[in-house]
Amino acid sequence: MSKQISRRDFLKLATAGAATTAVLTGCGPTSRFVDREPYRKMPEYTYNGISTYYATTCRECAAACGLVVRTMQGRAIKVEGNPNNPVNLGKTCARGQATLQGLYNPDRVENPVKQARGAQLSQETLDWNAATQIVADALTNTNPSEIAFLMGMAPDHLFDLVSDLAKAIGAPAPIRFGALGMFEARATLSKAAEDLFGSASMPFFDLENADVVVSFGANFLETWLSPVAFTRGFARMRRGNPERRGYFVQFEPRMSQTASKADAWIPLRPGTENLVALALGRLIAEAKGGAIPAAFASVDPVAAAAEADVIFETLERLAQTLTNAGRPLVIPGGAALGQSNGLATAEAVLALNALLGNFGLPGGVFISPLAPAQDAYHRPASAKEMTDFIAKMKSGGVKVLFVHGVNPLFELPKQLGFAEALAAVPQVISFATFPDETALASDYIFPDHHGLESWGYQRAVVSAKPVLSGAQPVVVPYFNTRATADVFLAAAALTGGTLAQAMPFADEVAFIQSKLTKLVGEEGFFAAPEINSFTAYFQQYGGWWTLDPSLATPSAANAIAKRFNASAAEFAGEGEFFFLPFVSPTLGEAGANKPWLQELADPTTTVMWNTWVEMNPATAHELGIENDDVIEIVSEAGSVEAPVYLYPAIRPDVIAMPFGQGHTAYGRFAAGRGVNPADVLGVHFNEAGDLAFAGMKVTVKKTGKIKVLSRLESRIGVYGEGLEKE
Amino acid sequence: MADHKPHTSHEEHLREQHLMLDPMPRGKMNEMVMESMHTTSWKFWLVFGLLSALVAYALFYKWGVMILEGLGVAGVNRPSYWGIFLVNTVFWIGISHAGTFISAILRVFKAEFRRPFTRAAELMTTFGLIQAGFSIFMHMGRVWLSYWLMPIPNERQLWPNFHSPLSWDLLAITTYLLSSTMYLFLPLIPDLAMARDRTPDGTWQKVFYRVLALGFRGTEGEWTHLRNALNIFAFAIIPVMFSVHTIVSWDFAMATRPGWNSTIFGPYFVIGALHSGMGAVVMVLAVVRGTMKNMKYFIRPEHFEAIGKLMLIISMSWAYFFFNDYIVQWYGGDKWTKELLHWHEAGPMGWMWFGMLICNVAIPWAILWNKKWRSTPWLIFIVGLLINVGMWFERYIIVPISLTINRMPFTWRLYQPGIEVWLGIGTLAFFILLYMAASRLIPLIPVWEVQEGQMAHSLRKYGRETVVTVSELE
Amino acid sequence: MTVDLNKLHAVGAIAEEAEGKWGMVIDMDLCTGCQACVAACAMENNIPYVEEVDAGYGRSMHWIRTERFWEGEYPEVKMSAYQPMLCQQCGKAPCEPVCPAFATVHSQAEQINLQVYNRCVGTRYCANNCPYQVRSFNWRDYQDSRVRPEITILANQFNPDVTVRRRGVMEKCTFCIQRIHKAQDKAKSEGREVEDGEFTTACAQACPANAITFGRIDHPESLVAQLARSPRAAHHLEELGTLPRVTYLKEG
Repeated sequence: MSKQISRRDFLKLATAGAATTAVLTGCGPTSRFVDREPYRKMPEYTYNGISTYYATTCRECAAACGLVVRTMQGRAIKVEGNPNNPVNLGKTCARGQATLQGLYNPDRVENPVKQARGAQLSQETLDWNAATQIVADALTNTNPSEIAFLMGMAPDHLFDLVSDLAKAIGAPAPIRFGALGMFEARATLSKAAEDLFGSASMPFFDLENADVVVSFGANFLETWLSPVAFTRGFARMRRGNPERRGYFVQFEPRMSQTASKADAWIPLRPGTENLVALALGRLIAEAKGGAIPAAFASVDPVAAAAEADVIFETLERLAQTLTNAGRPLVIPGGAALGQSNGLATAEAVLALNALLGNFGLPGGVFISPLAPAQDAYHRPASAKEMTDFIAKMKSGGVKVLFVHGVNPLFELPKQLGFAEALAAVPQVISFATFPDETALASDYIFPDHHGLESWGYQRAVVSAKPVLSGAQPVVVPYFNTRATADVFLAAAALTGGTLAQAMPFADEVAFIQSKLTKLVGEEGFFAAPEINSFTAYFQQYGGWWTLDPSLATPSAANAIAKRFNASAAEFAGEGEFFFLPFVSPTLGEAGANKPWLQELADPTTTVMWNTWVEMNPATAHELGIENDDVIEIVSEAGSVEAPVYLYPAIRPDVIAMPFGQGHTAYGRFAAGRGVNPADVLGVHFNEAGDLAFAGMKVTVKKTGKIKVLSRLESRIGVYGEGLEKE
Repeated sequence: MADHKPHTSHEEHLREQHLMLDPMPRGKMNEMVMESMHTTSWKFWLVFGLLSALVAYALFYKWGVMILEGLGVAGVNRPSYWGIFLVNTVFWIGISHAGTFISAILRVFKAEFRRPFTRAAELMTTFGLIQAGFSIFMHMGRVWLSYWLMPIPNERQLWPNFHSPLSWDLLAITTYLLSSTMYLFLPLIPDLAMARDRTPDGTWQKVFYRVLALGFRGTEGEWTHLRNALNIFAFAIIPVMFSVHTIVSWDFAMATRPGWNSTIFGPYFVIGALHSGMGAVVMVLAVVRGTMKNMKYFIRPEHFEAIGKLMLIISMSWAYFFFNDYIVQWYGGDKWTKELLHWHEAGPMGWMWFGMLICNVAIPWAILWNKKWRSTPWLIFIVGLLINVGMWFERYIIVPISLTINRMPFTWRLYQPGIEVWLGIGTLAFFILLYMAASRLIPLIPVWEVQEGQMAHSLRKYGRETVVTVSELE
Repeated sequence: MTVDLNKLHAVGAIAEEAEGKWGMVIDMDLCTGCQACVAACAMENNIPYVEEVDAGYGRSMHWIRTERFWEGEYPEVKMSAYQPMLCQQCGKAPCEPVCPAFATVHSQAEQINLQVYNRCVGTRYCANNCPYQVRSFNWRDYQDSRVRPEITILANQFNPDVTVRRRGVMEKCTFCIQRIHKAQDKAKSEGREVEDGEFTTACAQACPANAITFGRIDHPESLVAQLARSPRAAHHLEELGTLPRVTYLKEG
C-alpha cells in the first residue's frame, strides 16, 4: 500500500460523502489510504460500543446484491442489504446473511501452501513472495496458449483483470463457470435471446409490474439469477397493486419453493414444457383471432396437453386468463431448459410473450442493459464449453491451470471427467478461500481473501438499471491471505517486460480505479469530477448505477415468426423415473460449509443438514419404500444413495434431489455430508450447449439401509404419522 | 373363618390370624425386633453393595455428566420439555403419599391393622420424597442455581415468583418433607430408646440411638407429650398430604395445554398417588416379611388382606376419577384435546395407555376382590408392582406423551428417553438402598404401638362364644 | 382530594397492555419461506446451530421458523401459506406467570416479553406453557469453545449487543430489543421520538419479500398499525386470549 495520504485528508474525504447522505458507509479499514492495523491495535476511527458500517457486495452468488456490513472493533458483526443498491434495495437472502460464517469459518485456507494433490490440506506453508514468484514463473515459463484461467461467476473485477492479463500474454481468454449458471440454464436463455432478439444479453422479465405470471420451471424465488430481486418483484406483483392481487402459475414436475407460492401449480411431464408453451400460444392466438403465427402453427393443443399429462381444460382456462390479463408475463428457466429441447422451450416461451404483446411494456420482457463499464455480456461457460475445455486439458493442451472462485470437481457432473483432466495438467494453482475439492487437488493454494475482506466490483445481471456493485474490505483479512488480483499484478510486475507494461497497476485498487475512470462524470447515483472522489463515493455507496432504467425492447416480430418443432424432450437412460436435480434453495452451490445454512430448514421439505430424494408417496408405497429408506439411484452415468422424503407434491414418475451437499472436502460442516446429484448426471446437452441436467431417466433400488433425515417439521403433525384414523 | 378346619380351637385360630390377639412379652418382642435388625446375611451385603454401585454410577456419575454437558444428553426436546424427570418426580411423590396416608389417616380413624407397619410406610414417605427431590433437581437446566427458587433474602430483592405453580410446589414439597420427617421421627422415639437400651456400650450404634432418642425414658409425662404431639401431627399432616399432590397436579392443570387444563386433576392426582403408594407399601411389606427375621410374626396375611381391600377401593376411586377426567375432556370436543386423546390411545405409545388401564384397574379388580388371593403375599406383591407400573405409565402419558400434542402441529414430536432412564434407575436404587440401610438401623416395627394395641385387645369367653374385646384406645 | 397514583398507573398499564407498543405484521401471502429471516435472526442474536442429530430431534434453536402444511393429495395437493412463527410477545403471556424464578417477565416499558437469561434456572415451564411453541432451550453448551472448537473463530461474528447463552437456559425472540434500545437512545439523545421505520428487526430487515413489518402498533398512523387493520389480518390462537402482538395477513 504505497501511496499514503494523511488521516486528516482521509477523514475529510469521508465526511464530504457523509454530508450528502445518511448512509453509513465509508472507506474500508483497509483502504489503501490508511495504514492497515491488526485489531489488537484498534484503528483510531473505531470506538468501543460504536459500530462502523461498510458498503460492499455479496459474493455468495453472482447476483451482485449490495451489502452494508456492520462492524465493531474490527469484526464483521452483521450483514444487511444496501438500501440504495437497485438489485436488492436493502434486502438479503439467507446465504447473504450467513456469509459471515464463511468469513469466520474454522476451515479456511490460512496460508499459501504447497499442496499434495488429493491429500488433506497441506501444512507446507509458503510465504507470499515465494507464491508470487511461482505465479510469475508459471506465467513466463509456459507457452501462453497452454495457460488456462478458470474463474467463478464472481467477482467481475478479477475476471476483467485476468481477461486483460490473458490478453497481454496471449493466452486464451479465461473461462467462467458456476453450477448455479448451469442449473439456471443461462446459456440457453442467452442463446434464445440471441436467436430471437439478436442480442445475447439476458432477457429481463419485469416481474414486479406483471399481473398474471406463468413460469415454466424458473425457480426465481430460490436461486435463479437474482433471487432477492425476483422475490421483491414477486412481492410487488402479488400485493403491489392494491386493486388487484397478482396471479401466478407455475409449470413444474415438482412443487419447488417457487411453485409453492403459485396460485396454481401444474405438474407436467418433464420435457413437455415446450409443447405446453406452444399449446398455450396457439390457444391464445385462436382466442385473439386472426392468423395463427408461424410459431404456434405446428402444435395441436389437445395432443400437447395429453403428452404433457395436463388436463386440457386447465390449459384453456389459463390461456383465457393470459389473454384477458392486462400485463401477462411468461418466464422460462431452470429445469425446463435443462432438457434436450431446452432451447426450443426457451424460445417458445419468449414467443409466447411476444404473442401476448408484452415486449417493452411494464410487466413484460426486455433486454437487460449492460452494466456500467461493460463491453459485452460475458455469460458463464455452458457445460458444452466446459466439455471442450476439459478435452483440451485431457489432451495435454493445458500446462498451467489457474482456478479461482469455482469448484469444478464438485460442481461439474462427474462424468464430464474433470478429475481426470485435472490430473493431466502438470501445474494447477488454486486461489481458493476454502479447502474445497478442487483446491485440494491442486499443486498450490494461494488463498484469496474472503469476499468481505476484498476489493472488487460485480455487475448486476438482473436489473433494469445498469448496476456496478462495489466491494470493499469491511475487515482486515483474518488470515494470511492475499487478494488474487494483487498476486497476479505482483507476478506481472515480477515478469517484467511486456506483461508488466500491460498491467501497470500498483495494486487491485488501482486496477479497479482504471475501470471506474470511464464512469467519472457520468450521471448516476452519484457523480464525481475526478477518479479519487469517484472511488471514495463508489466505496461509500457500495457501487454506481444509473438513476433511470435503460432497458431495451426486443422485437416481437422475429419471435413469433420463427417456426418451432413441437416435440418433447428426449431422455437419456432407461429408468422408470425422471431425475430432477435442483439447487438447494438454502445452500446454493457453495453454502454447505456454513453451519447456519446447514441448520436452515429447506423451505419445502424442512430437511436440515443432509441430502434427500423426493418421491411421490403413492409411488413409494408401490415400491415398498418408506420415509428415510435409503435408495440407490442408478443412471447411465453412475449411482448415488440417499434417504427418501415422501414428498406429496411431485409427479409419481419423477424423483428430485437437491444439489449443494455431498462434499468430500470443503471443511468440517460440508465434508462427508449428503450426496451430490451431479454424480449421476450424464453428459447430454441441449442445442445451446447447456447440460440437459433434467434429461435423465434413472432406476431406483431399495438398499435396506435407513438414514433418518433431520426435519424441522413434525411428521406427526404435518403428515399425521402415528395418528392414522381408521 | 371356617370352623370345620382342624384348628385346635377357635381361639387359637384367632390368635394365629391376628397380631393384636397374639401378645408376646415385652422383652421378647423387643428382642425379636432387635434381632431382626442384627441378622444380616451375605446376600444382604451383596445386594447392598450392588445397589451402592448402581447409585454411584446411575445416579451420581450420570447426573454429573448431565450437569456438565447439559440436558442434551437426556431425551427432552421441543415439545416434550419435561420428560421422565417429571414423571419420576410425580411418581415418587405419589409413593411417598401412602406412608403418611396409612399412618395418619388410619391413626386418626383408629384402624388397628395399621399398627405393625406404620413405620415401614412412613419411611417410604421420607425416602420417596428424597427421590422426588433428586428427580426435580435433575430436571433443572441449571441445578447449581436451584436455590434461587427459595425465598432467600438478598440485596437485589429478587424473590421467587409466587404466581408459579412450581413455586407452590417447591414450598409444598418442602413442607411435606419436613412434616413427614417429623411425623416419622415422633413415634420412632420410644423405639429408639428401646434400641438404645438394648445396644451395648461403646458401639457407634449406641451413640446413634442415644442422640436420636433424645433421652426418652418412658415417663408418664414423656408419653403424654408424645401422644399429644402425635395426635396433632396425625391431623395436621393430612391436609398437607392432600395439598402436596394437588399442587403437583396444578403444575399441569394450571397450564394452557390441551389435556392438562383439567379441574379434576387435583383429586385425580391425590387418588393416583394413593394408588401407587399403597401398591408400594404392600410390596415393601411383602419383601420385609419374606426377607427379615421374625417379621412373619408381625406382618401377617391379615394385614395384606386389609391393605388389599383398601387398594381395591382406591383402584375403584382412581377409575372413577380417570373416567371423569376422560369423559369431560372427550365430550368437550376441543380440537386439540381430541387430537391428544386420539394420540393417547392410537398413537405409537397407545400400548401404554391400555397397559395403564390393565395395571391400574383390570388386574386389581380381578384379584383383590378375593379374600384369599389378596391375603397371599406374593400375589399381592405382584398386584402392587403392576399398580406401580400402571401408575408410572399414567404419569408418562400425562407428561411426555401429552406434551407431544400441543396447538402447533408443526412441532409435534416423539420423546425418546436418554440418560434419564439411568437417572430413574438411580433413584429407584437409592430408594431401596436407603430402605435397606434403615432396616438395619431403625426398628422397622413400631414395637410400642404394637404392644399398645395388644394390651388393648383380649379374647374373652362369654358362654361358649370367644369374643374379641377391646379396651378404650388412646 | 387525593389521587391514588398507583391506581392511575394501573389503569394506564392495563390500557397499554391491551394495546401493546411494538408490533409486527407478517404477510403470509408474500412470505416465500426463503429462510432469510431465520438466518438474519441467527446472525443478529447469536443463536447457536445444534447440528444434524439434535436439529432432527426437535432441538433446533430457531427463534423464528416458517411453518407450512399440506392439503389434499397429489395431484390436488396444495401447500398452505408459509407461516413464520416467532414469539408473539403476548400482552397476556402464558409463559410469564409460570416461571418460578421470574426469568421471563413483561416489560412495562416496551410491552414485550423479556427473557432474563442469567435469571433462568431451566425449569422449562415457560416453554411448556407457550401455546406457540416458540421458545428454545440451550440443551448443550453450543457456544462454548471447549465443547465446539470452531466457536473460537465463529465467535468473531457474535453481536456484542446480545448475550451468548449457556447450557440450561431458555431463550426466545426478543423483537430485537437491542435494536429498539439503540434507536430509542439515539432518538433521546437527539431530543425526538423514534420515527416509524427508523429501525426494524433483523428478520424484517432481511426479508426480501418485505413480508415482515415492524413498528409501533399503538401509533395508528404507523405502517404496521395500518397493515394490522387490513381485512386479511388475524392473530394466531387468538381464542386463548394471549393478546399476541404479531398479526398475520392471510392469503387471498
